[in-house]
Amino acid sequence: MLAILVIVPLIMAAFAAILLRGSPNTVKYLALLASLVSLAIAIYIFVYPSGAQSFQWFNVGGLAFSIGTATQPINMLLLMLVSVITPLVFLYSIGFMDVPSEQPRFYFEMCVFAASMMLFAISSNLITTFIAWEMLGITSYMLIGFWYRKEKAPDAARKAITTILIGDIAMLIGILMIGASSGTFNFATIFTLPITSYLDVALILILIGAFTKSAQFPFHEWLADAMEGPTPVSAFLHSSTMVKAGVFLIAVMLPIYNSAGLLNIMLIIGIVSALIGVSNALTERHIKKILAYSTIEDIGLMFIALGLNAPYAALMLFFVQTFYKALLFMNAGAIMKANDEREDIYKIYGSAINGSIASTMLVGVLSIAAIFPLSGFFGKVSVEVASQNVVVYALILLMELGTSIYIFRWMFVTMRKSFDKSAPVEINYRSIPRSMIAPMYILGVLTIVASAAFPYVLRYIELGAGVVNYTQITVTDAAVSMVLSIFGIIIAYRVYKQGHRLHLESTSKALFNIVYNSQLVNRAYTVITELTARVANTVGYTDYAFDRSTYALSQGATSSGGIIKGIVNGQTNIYVLGFVLGLILLIFSFIL
Amino acid sequence: MLPFIGMMLLTLIIGTIAAAVVDEGRSRRMAALFTGLTMIIAFGILVYSLITGSVNVHEDYIYYMVQFAVDFNFQLNIISFSLLLMATIVSFITALSGNTEHEREKTSSVLILLFELSAVGLFASANLIMFFLFWDVGVVALFFMLYLLGSANRRHAAMKFIVYEILASMLLLFAIMLLYFYTPVHSFDINTIIQNSPLIPTSTQWLVFFLLAGAFLINMPVFPAHLWLPDAHTEASTQGSMLLSGILTKFGGYGMILTFLLVPSGYTFSGFLGLLAGFSAFYAAFALMTQHDIKRIIAYTTIVEMSIILLGIASQNVYGTTGATYAMLAHGFGIAMLFLAAGSIGYMFSDRDFRALRGIIKSSVSTGYTMLIGIFATTGVPLTAAFIGDVLIFTGVLKAFSVYATIPLFSLLLAGAYLYYVINKSVLSTKDVTQNVEYIAREQKLGYSMLMFFIFFFGVLPFILLNFFSV
Repeated sequence: MLAILVIVPLIMAAFAAILLRGSPNTVKYLALLASLVSLAIAIYIFVYPSGAQSFQWFNVGGLAFSIGTATQPINMLLLMLVSVITPLVFLYSIGFMDVPSEQPRFYFEMCVFAASMMLFAISSNLITTFIAWEMLGITSYMLIGFWYRKEKAPDAARKAITTILIGDIAMLIGILMIGASSGTFNFATIFTLPITSYLDVALILILIGAFTKSAQFPFHEWLADAMEGPTPVSAFLHSSTMVKAGVFLIAVMLPIYNSAGLLNIMLIIGIVSALIGVSNALTERHIKKILAYSTIEDIGLMFIALGLNAPYAALMLFFVQTFYKALLFMNAGAIMKANDEREDIYKIYGSAINGSIASTMLVGVLSIAAIFPLSGFFGKVSVEVASQNVVVYALILLMELGTSIYIFRWMFVTMRKSFDKSAPVEINYRSIPRSMIAPMYILGVLTIVASAAFPYVLRYIELGAGVVNYTQITVTDAAVSMVLSIFGIIIAYRVYKQGHRLHLESTSKALFNIVYNSQLVNRAYTVITELTARVANTVGYTDYAFDRSTYALSQGATSSGGIIKGIVNGQTNIYVLGFVLGLILLIFSFIL
Repeated sequence: MLPFIGMMLLTLIIGTIAAAVVDEGRSRRMAALFTGLTMIIAFGILVYSLITGSVNVHEDYIYYMVQFAVDFNFQLNIISFSLLLMATIVSFITALSGNTEHEREKTSSVLILLFELSAVGLFASANLIMFFLFWDVGVVALFFMLYLLGSANRRHAAMKFIVYEILASMLLLFAIMLLYFYTPVHSFDINTIIQNSPLIPTSTQWLVFFLLAGAFLINMPVFPAHLWLPDAHTEASTQGSMLLSGILTKFGGYGMILTFLLVPSGYTFSGFLGLLAGFSAFYAAFALMTQHDIKRIIAYTTIVEMSIILLGIASQNVYGTTGATYAMLAHGFGIAMLFLAAGSIGYMFSDRDFRALRGIIKSSVSTGYTMLIGIFATTGVPLTAAFIGDVLIFTGVLKAFSVYATIPLFSLLLAGAYLYYVINKSVLSTKDVTQNVEYIAREQKLGYSMLMFFIFFFGVLPFILLNFFSV
């Protein structure tokens, strides 16, 4: 049985969404059904792995381009994550997307998005990976800009696609470099290639691609802006799809990165990105952007773990982050829905009114703050443990403190009671549809049990020789981590419980700019864009001048034709005059 | 086996006459009918080739110039067949759905049929006299297309076009004459010249190479001979633009592939040609970023794409050549789709400046999505045909030159970034402007969906054509 079958139901649902665009209700249940069928197929593949299979797509000059699937445990891990999250997100969307006319488009794009991610998960060669990778990019562009009527959504989508395009092109060059030199695109064969500086360049180019997709410094700003998309998209994009793609690709290719000695790049970029994520999440006020910066931090931590050559730790965080991040986004979506789509956390009230939201949110928040029995604890502490370097360890602890402050700020501020009694917030909270509540409960349970389930998943994963398994967590590590997290919670409680703000911007502008550095990054993007525009203007002007000069040339030809026309006018006396003048000239030239 | 090429040419000649004699209202139907028939015959060749396993068409008709042993003889290989197939499909869609304004239908129908005749003849020609003959028929047909149909300033653009193309024709004819006289057997036959060309002295080969490359680079067009293209597109009618960018530029690309076969010593200059192509791609991508007219923007993407195709041809290996052919096929569909949508936008809103347009996706859903998919097809997203072309071209470039030669791929990034900017301002926004929902003719929707179908068909199932390349 071909593993590729797993995407077939979703592709069929996508096409059905176009054909059945007249009846949106059918489309949404059909999409849910398709995702469940895909889940069933994924479970079947998980239980009975079919091994590597590939068929040739086309072959030119002996270089075969194939569509290949692999059912290695690491592939199964991502496939299971995607196929579990997909039905939950679709279920959530049934309640969330209450605009019937937009539903067929939404489910078409979501189905293609999920299918590309599943294809990515099971791909066994770089060509298949790149196809899935690009399809992810395109569908995410369409999903982020889904509400194109909103003022900022098209620009956010454009920012995403432009950033991703940089990575895509870098990655395509990297892939082709590997393919052209070694004649193969298969992961298995690439691991055996000898390390040359040529291969290093190719690997770095692929790494740039991974950084753009996974929103790492300096390509991270698109992810925060991507919050303009519908919340189910954010829940999907941040948990199991898209941003995980970069981490996953590098995790799969880690042995070759290790032997090429490129791990330090990941480590440094991971630390920078994670610090940027934490500091922005501490100062940001947009309810979803706080979570987005938190994702940048999580992905940064994963890259730190990969940079430390500790793929088990990275995959641990990779696994558990899926559930709590999807859960928190679903909570955020429900909270925004009850608060008339307001986005500023200081204008959002009463997230504790609905018990279901409040309880699941607490699970998610405790998990992200790495409190002991919850899965986030195991994820983050394994990264901590993996860092043998004191500086890295200290930085991770600092991030952890920051995490627990910002996430409890997020919770405490949104939990305040509204001062405006006339606002229908309470009624709104009570009327959150059940289809939105149900996935939250499922994800809450998964968040709790994920850490327990992980060792069973991990047991399957063999990442090759030389990989150290650093997942032994000692009591000391756990205690340090817990103390810091609780300390963070206390700070957040004291500062933000009443919805207070730290007026950092008015007290210290410089500090504020350093902490809330997304403005700086955006300004840097603007500078780059303007420089490009300036070059373009110069070239455009040159082109115009070039055009004018050819025109002038033709004008010159025409006017010189006019001069000759004036002489050659058919009058005999002019010709005779010319003849005589020429004769005189000739005679003189002979005499002299 | 059936005389496919003869059937196609005969169909088109009958079609041209039929479109010329019937009255104004019916001529478009005639054009659609006869271009459709030609397309069906082209698919017949594909089916026949799939059955026999290789594209191998040779047809020989009456003498044309007895003294020089020049016949109406035709042949197809997979390179010319790919382009021929694309040309017939694009011509059919142009005739069917290009002219929703119903403007001077008879003139446009006759010229489309005449141009398709030239395209079919050119791609299928087996000798250089036929090649030159059909080349000039195509140029003249498009000259009239530009001169008679289009916007206010069309005459100037048409004159510019014909001046550049006459220069190209002149260089081409000179090169053909040189080849005839310097080939030991004195022949115009392409295969004979290819067999005997190593015997031509190297300096003569170089001269011929420069003449041919000059002619084809003007036609492709590549910097510095690109200036006619943006003007021609700005002024041309929708149908004119579709044929111009979709098919005429491929004459140059096909000719360039042929050049390297005819004069193998030109290989010495492939590095310079690659440099020129890379420079041209960036030049056009930057120049693109200062344009505001949608049609002009699309015209500059043609220059970017054709430069990349030239880069593929210059790499002179199986990947580069195959990739260039496939990219030309893909570009024909993609650019025709973009121009069809841009023409429709210009007609609906009486404006093509993207800064003045808002919310096209609201006013006309099909046009909006066509623009979007056209941009995906231009930037080479996987599952569109352009992706296959790009991948193969850059594989070839990596094998022939160095890693640095892949830098021109970033020109696609520049073009893509600007195209996404354009589409965000004009298509995917409904900021404060309400526009009437315009009626889109059914045949235009059919044109959109057919082009989309072929873009994805050749993108998802590339092996149908690519398998023939390895034979």
